[in-house]
Amino acid sequence: MSNLNDLKTRLKIAREKIKKSSKNEDNNRNSSSMGSAFKLSTDLVAHVAVGTIIGFILDNWFDTKPWLIIIFFFLGSIAGILNVIKTAKKMQEKE
Amino acid sequence: MATNPMHQFQVHRIGPEIKIIGIDLSFTNASLFMLLSATAICALLFLGTREKKIIPDKLQLISEMFYNFIAKMINDTAGSKAKPYFPFIFSLFMFVLFCNMLGMLPYSFTVTSHIIVTLLMAIFIFIAVTVIGFLKHGFGYLKLFVPSGVPTLLLPLITIIEIISYLSRPVSLSVRLFANMMAGHTMLKVFGGFVISLGMLGGWLPLGFSVALTGLEILVAFLQAYVFAILTCIYLNDALNLHH
Repeated sequence: MSNLNDLKTRLKIAREKIKKSSKNEDNNRNSSSMGSAFKLSTDLVAHVAVGTIIGFILDNWFDTKPWLIIIFFFLGSIAGILNVIKTAKKMQEKE
Repeated sequence: MATNPMHQFQVHRIGPEIKIIGIDLSFTNASLFMLLSATAICALLFLGTREKKIIPDKLQLISEMFYNFIAKMINDTAGSKAKPYFPFIFSLFMFVLFCNMLGMLPYSFTVTSHIIVTLLMAIFIFIAVTVIGFLKHGFGYLKLFVPSGVPTLLLPLITIIEIISYLSRPVSLSVRLFANMMAGHTMLKVFGGFVISLGMLGGWLPLGFSVALTGLEILVAFLQAYVFAILTCIYLNDALNLHH
């Protein structure tokens, strides 16, 4: 039993320590911000690529060779940039 | 051949060739390392939770840490509604993490550096999330593509853009993991090749780089597994709690 009581007091001290220092949270935020950096960079490229592929497929479908691929390339770029702005806004709201 | 930095990504057959209806189903080094990582995960979790002590030993501590980490992540990003999907996200995270980490061992094979593996996982997540969304909200799920508060003139344009960004989810999810793992391992091999070719005189500088890059790669291996899991949670959140 003494072992358990000892554990209880130790747990209490540890909990107070966690409450006091938000160092743990800071660490978490650091890794997740690096994660969102990876997310943003690939998202931008993926949006443009997917837009262009959709344009290419639709072009083959409707036989309007160069036009839809051009339009969808720009739409993809817009989507990518909008997505980055959205994510950045969300990150700012969190802080 | 050994100095070719892309040689490490080659898939080759282990054991006899197995062909079923013209499809090659032979056991390869990729399957070996998938099996190894699955076995390692099972071993860790079984051994860790075998004796449920109040004061945990090291293995129990590690497995409980993983459990808490994922449970907290799901709760923070997707809310309490996503609790039933915990087993899926947990196994997804563990599998990607262990594949990445096993790939860091010398002479091993990185399964996640092949786009077919990551794309398959990403497409599965994409289809699953879409099905869940339609099951929960019916055709109301299509509201995801029509954000509120947009002028009617711009609505068709915004809808097309939203559809493009929805379709680009599996692409960005798979390409991120695959490109990071492949680029990192190629770079490690290139610097390793410099050490050999520069010899005793100039080989020390690339050797130092190699050591630093190994540390970075271990960080990236963990981070990519984390990003993969957290993005799955975010997509799940979109499907479960529809609000725009």
